[in-house]
Amino acid sequence: MTNAVAGLGLAPDAAMVTFPIAMFLPGSDITPVEARKQEFYDGLTTWRSAFAGGAASEPPMIRVQASSAEAAFARANDVMLTNRWSDGLPVWPPTRERVEWILRGTAEPRRRELGTFPPRGGVTTIESCAIALAMAGGRPEYLGVLIAAVEAFLDEDSGSEQLQAASGSAFPVVIVNGPIGAQIRLNAGFGCLGPDPQRPAGASIGRALRLLQQNLGGALPGIGTMANYGGMRYTNVVFAEDEANLPAGWPAHGVERHGFKPGQSSISLAFANGVTNIRRRGAKKETPEEDALQGMYRMADFMRVPNMPGLSGYEHGTPGILMLPGVVAKTMAGLGWTKTSIREFFWEHSRIPGEHLRRAGCPAWIEIDSKKVTRESLALDPWPITASPDNFIVLVAGGGHPTNSYWLQGYSPGVVGRAIEVPPSFEALIADAERDLGPRPA
Amino acid sequence: MVTLEFHDPSGVIAVKQPHAPRVSTLAGKRVGFVSNEQWQAYRMLPLLKSLLEADFPGIEVLPIDAFPQGNALIGSEETAALVKQSGVDAVVIGNAA
Repeated sequence: MTNAVAGLGLAPDAAMVTFPIAMFLPGSDITPVEARKQEFYDGLTTWRSAFAGGAASEPPMIRVQASSAEAAFARANDVMLTNRWSDGLPVWPPTRERVEWILRGTAEPRRRELGTFPPRGGVTTIESCAIALAMAGGRPEYLGVLIAAVEAFLDEDSGSEQLQAASGSAFPVVIVNGPIGAQIRLNAGFGCLGPDPQRPAGASIGRALRLLQQNLGGALPGIGTMANYGGMRYTNVVFAEDEANLPAGWPAHGVERHGFKPGQSSISLAFANGVTNIRRRGAKKETPEEDALQGMYRMADFMRVPNMPGLSGYEHGTPGILMLPGVVAKTMAGLGWTKTSIREFFWEHSRIPGEHLRRAGCPAWIEIDSKKVTRESLALDPWPITASPDNFIVLVAGGGHPTNSYWLQGYSPGVVGRAIEVPPSFEALIADAERDLGPRPA
Repeated sequence: MVTLEFHDPSGVIAVKQPHAPRVSTLAGKRVGFVSNEQWQAYRMLPLLKSLLEADFPGIEVLPIDAFPQGNALIGSEETAALVKQSGVDAVVIGNAA
């Protein structure tokens, strides 16, 4: 709550009466309200904020000393943990030198404000992004992607203000389109959502975004974020669409969803709170048509659950992100499938029978939704899990193997796109990466 | 000795507005509730209303539903305007978990 108060521009304290979680559950004993009534009365009468007005000053640099470089590095990491600035894994101390190096990745002035990170309201600048990227082990050529992702995250249409603190364990998904993906070694193929020393950019960029969510946004587990589980939050999800394997006629996601020109490097940010592998391929003597259709039904059946994550973005967000390997996309395209027809199939075949909604208590959640479109959808039986087929995100990504597809369950009030800006010296940064990391993997 | 100097990654927060002034006493005052109707607010806030009414002579506590309720509505400019128009001296907001 103090995060939320600070995020409104108020001093980061507030008159609150707090109770253990048990009192907020159905059937709870609420007599502690009476026992502690004086705290409520004091909050309305005698309470005073401990903070004076005005902007806080720039925090001083942190200094550690030790007998060796190795010991100083270890001490810096201890400081990061005790101040709750780390994510639990070792971080690179954001020294002046390191941050200056990262800042070579942008032509923007370091003090330019991108906004305030919700809910705590930490002032977010280009330099804030560079500090986080330095801590996350990043490189200068990643900075443009991170800045675009942060701008999208801070866009109120993303829903980040609500999701940062909410219990539903949402994590940002950053989809990169355009040539920058391959240039900076973002993974679009095998293992694109996981660790990859050959293509390390996604992990660093996503980790930096998470560190900003925590350190500027205040999203510390159990304190600033009530996410019960918090999966995928070490690195969030940052990957590139596999545009090299897009079938002819299938538009890139950034072009289709956000209207960017083909070849424009861009990001698209949505939120998800689940990741699931779906066995897509048939096992015996299916024809290509049967293999494709059976896989489509398995995917749609998986989406047809009364979990309602799509409620948060029912009208304009997304119920989820479906990833198909390029080899599958090309086969399906040969059979006449398009991204549009795939979305329409999902929309039609993921509808939930009204009886299943009622037995799971879903109508109550739909009735209290803030959006009229969502509330009125309750009249539909079977109930579509999102307002429009266009809300599904269908991507070509993942290794060149036909067995699986992947579903990132959406929890996303909006899907926000941003163009990626790179500095005039970008080619030199890529050359530096070739020098430091070796040739780009094929 | 090796010295390592690095940035504090927690940045800065700008305080742009003060908290509402407090009232000197609740006796004779007009008090409102802004409720999200979540987390047992429908039970706890009426209890607090009755306690206020019992403990402070002349207090007027508005009904729990005097203002729009629910997470989607209580933070809106429209609700804020309604609260101001009501002439309340103090407001209790609940519940968060």
